Amino acid sequence: MSLPLKNTIGYRVVCDWLAAQQRQPFLFQQETWQHIINGESGLVNAPTGCGKTFSVFLGSLIQFINEHPGDYRNKINCGLQLLWITPLRALAKDIARAMEEVVSSLEMKWKIATRNGDTGTAERARQKRQMPEVLIITPESLHLLLAQKGYAELFSSLKIIAIDEWHELLGSKRGVQVELAISRIIHSPRSDCPLQIWGISATIGNLEEAKNVLLSPLEKKGVIVKAGMDKTVEVESIFPDEIEKYPWAGHLGIKLIHKVIPVIRKSRSTLIFINTRGMSETWYQKILDVCPELAGAIALHHGSVDRELRNWVEENLHKGNLKAVVCTASLDLGVDFRPVETVIQVGSPKGVARFLQRAGRSGHSFDETSKIYFLPTHSLELMEAAALKKAIGENIIERRTPLLLCFDVLIQYLNTLAVSDGFDPDKVFKEITGTYCYKEMTTDEWHHLLHFMMHGGNALQQYDDYKKLEWDEGLFQIKNRRIAMRHRMNIGTIVSEAMMKVKLIGGSYAGIVEEYFISRLQPGDVFTLAGRNLEFVMIKDMTALVKKSSSRKSIVPSWLGGRMPLSASLGFMLRKTLNEVSGHLHPETGRRKNETLSRELISLLPLFELQQQISHVPEENELLIEQIETEDGYHLFVYPFEGRLVHEAMAALLAYRISRITSITFSFAMNDYSFELLSDQPIPVNDSNVYELFSPENLLEDIRRSVNSTEMAKRKFRDISVIGGLVFQGYPGEQKKARHLQNSASLLFNVLSEYEPGNLLLRQSYSEVMEQQMEEARLRDMLARIQQSRIVITFPQQLTPFCFPVKVDSMREDLSSEKLEDRIKKMILQEGT
Amino acid sequence: MQRPLKHIICKNTFWLSAERCMYWEEEKALIAADLHFGKTGHFRKSGIAVPQSIYKEDLQRLISVVQYFKPQQLIITGDLFHSEANKELDFFQKWRNDLSTLKIHLVKGNHDILPGDWYQHSGIEIHQQDWTLHDIYFCHDLSGPASIIPNAQLYSISGHIHPAIHLNGAGRQSLRLPCFYFTKNHAVLPAFSRFTGTHLIEPKKGDAVFAIADQKIFRVS
Repeated sequence: MSLPLKNTIGYRVVCDWLAAQQRQPFLFQQETWQHIINGESGLVNAPTGCGKTFSVFLGSLIQFINEHPGDYRNKINCGLQLLWITPLRALAKDIARAMEEVVSSLEMKWKIATRNGDTGTAERARQKRQMPEVLIITPESLHLLLAQKGYAELFSSLKIIAIDEWHELLGSKRGVQVELAISRIIHSPRSDCPLQIWGISATIGNLEEAKNVLLSPLEKKGVIVKAGMDKTVEVESIFPDEIEKYPWAGHLGIKLIHKVIPVIRKSRSTLIFINTRGMSETWYQKILDVCPELAGAIALHHGSVDRELRNWVEENLHKGNLKAVVCTASLDLGVDFRPVETVIQVGSPKGVARFLQRAGRSGHSFDETSKIYFLPTHSLELMEAAALKKAIGENIIERRTPLLLCFDVLIQYLNTLAVSDGFDPDKVFKEITGTYCYKEMTTDEWHHLLHFMMHGGNALQQYDDYKKLEWDEGLFQIKNRRIAMRHRMNIGTIVSEAMMKVKLIGGSYAGIVEEYFISRLQPGDVFTLAGRNLEFVMIKDMTALVKKSSSRKSIVPSWLGGRMPLSASLGFMLRKTLNEVSGHLHPETGRRKNETLSRELISLLPLFELQQQISHVPEENELLIEQIETEDGYHLFVYPFEGRLVHEAMAALLAYRISRITSITFSFAMNDYSFELLSDQPIPVNDSNVYELFSPENLLEDIRRSVNSTEMAKRKFRDISVIGGLVFQGYPGEQKKARHLQNSASLLFNVLSEYEPGNLLLRQSYSEVMEQQMEEARLRDMLARIQQSRIVITFPQQLTPFCFPVKVDSMREDLSSEKLEDRIKKMILQEGT
Repeated sequence: MQRPLKHIICKNTFWLSAERCMYWEEEKALIAADLHFGKTGHFRKSGIAVPQSIYKEDLQRLISVVQYFKPQQLIITGDLFHSEANKELDFFQKWRNDLSTLKIHLVKGNHDILPGDWYQHSGIEIHQQDWTLHDIYFCHDLSGPASIIPNAQLYSISGHIHPAIHLNGAGRQSLRLPCFYFTKNHAVLPAFSRFTGTHLIEPKKGDAVFAIADQKIFRVS
């Protein structure tokens, strides 16, 4: 039975409060409130900064007031009403503050609390005694709650679970944690009211699926409420003065720094997004070199900068004390930075959603325009700006594919249940297969899993004292306190790289760097971290000791993370963009000759004309292959525009298939646009065999033979073994390890491969390689597309503008940067055009 | 099993086995290091499911090399057992009883923390830090604090570091293989147990390194 919202007392109370502040509810908020008081579940699709928090939170208040019209002001200790799951602890404080403000204005007695890794034990204990009405929590802390005895009690009065920033969690193992926690809470004994689930998500390509994943355990269809107030985004490219002279490849965009300074100067506050931590260090230095008076007013923010320093940066950004911050994806999410007026994206953002998200960091209010500058790091990247604009115009945004059958997360979850109140396997099996992630799990897999958890795989019966799950009173339980404690310590799915703290001798922490990087340094080597030049002295107690250095030369750490491939949506838009160019270059065909090209494409025309003259500019339904002979050997360049990972797999696959025709060896190189095979003999690819070489037939078998999937699986197994509880990483940075229990994932991988090849976690690492490393689905789509396309093979006499970026990328490994620059100059001279 | 390789140290003949141990002909002694017996059991007792078959195989390999060389004594340069007693060690004792005539010398390593009577009961003679037999000095960790060689004339044999060597092959392939490592006056044995990590060594000129791969042993430098 539905109650018309506007006749309810809760609605009037909330509207009066809003009106007192000269505000009124947005349409989508009212729509959400109506659904909430109707007992519906669903997904709110709204961008940041337009009241998405209030859509669900005020709905929950209205519901409460309606149920207690007389005494809603006086009700205390009502038990948990709203569970608010958020991916970022930094967000929790802000949200709690906003909620508290409302509650106190309405003179209600609701308590709002947060719970995450920073929450102290006293506060935790207080929450256990008396749950607040609203609890703001991270997925990890929610699982920790499930690891407490009698947890079901805590949720017995719960009415709504809200999942904030669901687009961020979906597609990750943290999202799977959310699914599992929901399935458990729904099926816990509770007071009469049915549970409602509300996701809150920015726009993604698969909103419907995103909603279904959340609501799967409810077996309800649910509703999607769209705010329909996506912000206006203005994209402006920063153009090199003369495109012919701007590097075709291999630069960090630093040549355009003089165009960035005025942008920084005229904005109140600017965020400069750089793709990698290493590059952000370089940019920060260069800005200071060019513009020393900015010292003190600009800052650096990335994942390896010390947490405290990062907090300081965020705080001052919030207060408007900083003129500019050079940052990486570390500032993609997080607190609201109202003073930010301008965003600069350096290099490819790799995806439309990410670009929009970054743009949205400026002009935080819904009615402000977000302004983002795009700064290309090489000429062709300007094409991406054109593609991005087009994608934004046509609302083409990436999907977030939910993960399926993550056995590592499931094992961790079952152990969590076993640690607290134990679990009944039949009951839990039904719950788990009600989730989206595990709905395809077979009973065979389930039994295999339980057997593994109970008996620990292959054993020598009478000589074994494996202990973990125990069967008692019809429940699986973990009774050993030490095992239980260790499990609680390791709940979570974010497995960090082996990182090392960096500390100044006798001084403060400078940040953290990958252990791998430190291990290659010699004492006396100078490197850059958080904008400072540091001289490496020694390693002591798992900390790298350094001292300040005045040396001008330094190594910038190459952090391994952050190499995102170009997204499928952006790749698609790039191919469409080339279509326009091609139409423009062939006016004689009469197609699209009236279409006006964007400024970016017009500026690139000299390059495209050269490309067309010596090779070809492919249309959307074409695949370009270039065969070029240079002093290095015979090159084969292929341009699918499908992102680095797909290209890597495709290069290996193609090399394998060619090597079946004739005995030949290759080296590969790839970037987001194309890949290259290089050989010392001619590569036999021609019109007669090319469709066969790109055939989707026998794809799986050929891939298994062409790539070292064992090595890749071993890398995936690192995380899986930690999440699945086979390897303990201790507290981050503390290296707290149980005595004689040290083990490495790679050793375990070898041992399991040899002695227990059917192990579920081992199998999972291979399937993660196919799905995530190879992006199998995308690879398959690409091959299917190519079969429908015209494949154009050209034999240019010289290197083409298109092949440059990948050609140069491939040289990077062997040559130092100075030599690289010389080499590029030489290559351009050789062009002679 | 591949035929062992002969290696001469101080006019004594040692036979290096691909099973990660060596036989001292003159003394009829089998020498091994870092067996880490009970390691899988230790993990399993803590709820970490590592397959136990690897322990069974380690033990079986030890039996087969004992049957092959027919030694009179077994010298372990440390880390015979991984940690505290567990059921897996019962399996070891059963095997020990079947070979009661074999003398076992254990030069204690950092992992050997079982109570003294346990060793006594198992017929294992304990050497707390080191042991010298003729010209050969045995210890667990030569770089460790306890390692002051009493007589620099002695050739020393140790374990502890689980040495491995990096080999580069064709097609950018690289392998990390456990190895025997001999310098002019010191030898480091590979870890006998296959459930152990390894530490890369950087051999100097004149050193001898024997790598082990797929039950084969070969000299690499």
